[in-house]
Amino acid sequence: MNPADATRQIYWNISHIWVMYLLLLPTVAIAGYGIYRQFARWRRGLPAARFDRPAKRVQLLVKHAFAQRRTARNRYAGLFHRLVTYGFIVLTIATTIVALDADFGTTIMRGNFYLYFQSFVVDIFGALVMVGIGMAATRRYLMRPKQLVYTNEATLILAVIFLMCLQGFLIEGWRIAATNDPWGAWSPFGNAVARGSLQLMSVEAIRGAHGGVWWSHVVLSFGFIAWVPYTKMMHVITAPLNIYTANLVPLGATLRSIDFEKAESFGVNSFEDFTWKDLLDLDACTECGRCTSVCPANIVGKELSPRDIILQLRDLMHEELRISDFGFRIDKPKDKIRYETSGSNSDKSAIRNPQSAIIAAVPATSPLSLWQCTTCAACMQACPVFIEQMPKIVDMRRHLVMEEADFPDSMQEAILSLERRGHPFSGTQSTRIDWTEGLNIRQVSETDDAEVLLWVGCGGALIERNQRVTRATAQLLEQAGVKFAIMGREEKCSGDPARRIGNEFLFETLAKENVANLNKHHVKKVVTACPHCFNTFKNEYPQYGGRFEVFHHSEYLADLVSEGRLKSHTGSDKKITFHDPCYLGRQNGVYDAPRELVQISTKESVVEMERSRKKSFCCGGGGGMSFVEEPPDKRVNQERAREVLESGADVLAVGCPFCMTMMEDGINARKGEREVKVMDVSELLWEAAQPRAAETFVTTPG
Amino acid sequence: MNILVCLKQILDPEIPARDFRVDTVKREADRGSASLVTNIFCENALETALQLRERTGSARITVLSYGPPSAEDSLRKALAMKADAAALVLNDGNQNPDPFTTARVLAAAIRKIGTFDLIMVGREAGDWGAGQTGGLIAEELGMPCVSFVDRIESNDGQLKLNRQTDTGWEVLEASPPIVVSVTNDEHNLPRIPKVRDVMMSYRQPLTNLSLDDLGIDAHEARAGNSYYQVAELSIPQKETHCEFVTGDTLDQKVGSLAQRIIEVTSAM
Repeated sequence: MNPADATRQIYWNISHIWVMYLLLLPTVAIAGYGIYRQFARWRRGLPAARFDRPAKRVQLLVKHAFAQRRTARNRYAGLFHRLVTYGFIVLTIATTIVALDADFGTTIMRGNFYLYFQSFVVDIFGALVMVGIGMAATRRYLMRPKQLVYTNEATLILAVIFLMCLQGFLIEGWRIAATNDPWGAWSPFGNAVARGSLQLMSVEAIRGAHGGVWWSHVVLSFGFIAWVPYTKMMHVITAPLNIYTANLVPLGATLRSIDFEKAESFGVNSFEDFTWKDLLDLDACTECGRCTSVCPANIVGKELSPRDIILQLRDLMHEELRISDFGFRIDKPKDKIRYETSGSNSDKSAIRNPQSAIIAAVPATSPLSLWQCTTCAACMQACPVFIEQMPKIVDMRRHLVMEEADFPDSMQEAILSLERRGHPFSGTQSTRIDWTEGLNIRQVSETDDAEVLLWVGCGGALIERNQRVTRATAQLLEQAGVKFAIMGREEKCSGDPARRIGNEFLFETLAKENVANLNKHHVKKVVTACPHCFNTFKNEYPQYGGRFEVFHHSEYLADLVSEGRLKSHTGSDKKITFHDPCYLGRQNGVYDAPRELVQISTKESVVEMERSRKKSFCCGGGGGMSFVEEPPDKRVNQERAREVLESGADVLAVGCPFCMTMMEDGINARKGEREVKVMDVSELLWEAAQPRAAETFVTTPG
Repeated sequence: MNILVCLKQILDPEIPARDFRVDTVKREADRGSASLVTNIFCENALETALQLRERTGSARITVLSYGPPSAEDSLRKALAMKADAAALVLNDGNQNPDPFTTARVLAAAIRKIGTFDLIMVGREAGDWGAGQTGGLIAEELGMPCVSFVDRIESNDGQLKLNRQTDTGWEVLEASPPIVVSVTNDEHNLPRIPKVRDVMMSYRQPLTNLSLDDLGIDAHEARAGNSYYQVAELSIPQKETHCEFVTGDTLDQKVGSLAQRIIEVTSAM
């Protein structure tokens, strides 16, 4: 027995092999049609440029489709998913090699390769697939996490994959047993089947059973291949495709702009208003439910569920965008309604064109849900296949705001105030420069040697609590000897709330006005204590000709500290935790600078909450939600406040005026439990930078 | 039914109090950083008209303003809210016409641009708050006037008007033509226009009229054959005095407190 001659006979014990090739025809036809149909559907969407920077995209593909880094964030699910994926990859390679040797006369299946790979490795990976399926079934039927979607399809998929592998081992084992294969031991699991079978059955019986199971394996496998494009298993194609065509910009830059001169409709209320990538997103969903499981609105018990938005839109799309056998469009039969719409969801906000409307066509896209999104993008961060849930929500909001003028009253008030006064805080008695009282702050119009513009933002200028933050920041800049100026009365809202509420037109107006104004004053560097302004300046203004070097105040102050221009004298002994603002952390990747400031202001080490950094939990104030009164028992800020109190921290450090308001409110509502002070990172630094103790802390103006 | 709604553009009344300045020499408010907005009661009037049109199904709404070129924005916004036509009488530099002049100009413009069954104005403007223009337009046009209306219904051409009073509502019936001044109510909060309509409003025609077109002497309108003039304009200074009322017993204290209240209020 020379290992160099080791191989096995292909199609042992099988006759009429042409039948298999015949079965291949309908299999390829059905699967091909299923795939074609999906591509044809996606092509109905608007254009989107998602094939630039191929190297970066391949990198993403390796990291997230092959290495499955995001999937692995859930360790259990990540493990079994990798077992099944890698098992399938190995089995597919093995089957391809068999096909090559059988049909193209190659002799790859020989010698060591046959023994090490084709026998041993394949055997092990086949077993691992079965282990993976077992783990998946355990999770689905015993652990039963809420985030999953429990369908018969999912059950059938698990059963079929398990059965295919089982058949594989039976076929292999019975061949080893009946042929007394000298290399059988190289396939440990197949060999075990062989030995077990020989105990129970005659060689004749094994031969007969082998033929039957071989053909049933062919039928089941071909059937599975044909079925895949019609199930969530299609994600073996759509997931890599979706990852390859992911949006490569930071999460904060993912909203698309509208060409108001050309657009036929503003926002999205039909599938044709989406881009092809949005439509691909819907088909790429694997129903894992991670988006909904991290959605702040959903966690506090509201109706919003990004998973259901994607899945229900997917089902609706499959129904509406029918492609006939010849690729012609057949319009959706109107009488079909898949979902019961609950009372609160049905209102006038639907439906200009009922035939293609998607808002309120399914419960998940009810205006009620759409107006609960804080645009925190936790869903996008969680999605293993890079589906963009939040921009779709904003797209639909745009329709409601710009085409229907139908949105919550308190948001209307904010929008109206933005239109009239350039800030969203209707009724404020503060002016843009009240906070400067007693300080010597210069305005850009009065100076031409400022190296940096301090962009105060509406929150920092007009909300009394945040005026103290602005004062702390300004005084720190002064102390470090930074030559800075402010826009003063010329400053207007960056447009972030308008954009996230869905009034893209107003956002564009504000953006253009601000950019023109900043350029007029030759502003190059911008520091701001508002992550929303920060994000807008950094990610959205370049499109309007505003190219600035933008810093969150925590970044700029941390730089001043590391340059030695600011010093901490009196680190307190307080335990401090930091709440990552969504638009600073998750959406722009700034996590360390604010923590550095916190760290130098206390002798204790920074306390981390359970949900921090990328996984941080929204304060509830983004996406225009800070203007909306939430139901008392479903408040995002209180859920976050609970976590703050549980962290054991004495001080909650924040880095955003909206977080400041939301978290102070949230913590006040739980005041009975424990006293926690909410302070901006600049206030902490200012306090620590004073030679004497905390009593010298910044005072309110006037 | 032909409806005309008069709109006045004013300085944003919501600017912070400490930002508000007046020019004591010119005797008018300084614009400062305030934006220009449509007077809220005028918007209530427009909203009431829009709702009336929705209920009757067939009415034509024209909006009219007498003001500076910037007043076009108020008219455009009204068009965005779905008024059918708009006309602007340029005030030719007369920034602050008194109600008599305004009513005369508006009445002349109304006569010029059409025949109307219902003329609606806001109950007063948020700048000067004179509350005269509606009644004076009625006088100019020889029509009856109903003030403080918050709801209008139409029945076979007859109008049913809901009028707010100090003690409740009066329901009046009236035959057009009639002038109505509108007050605010939870039902006539002005709607937010759709962005599409805002954009479209800038493509709609707008009639520009000058005082000449109306046969009114611009010089006379500016000088004002006014029945009233602003003699002095200033922002009231807030002063607080504190005074302790004394007395040995509670009765004495209450007695002297009441005495002081009478003295102080009678001196006011």
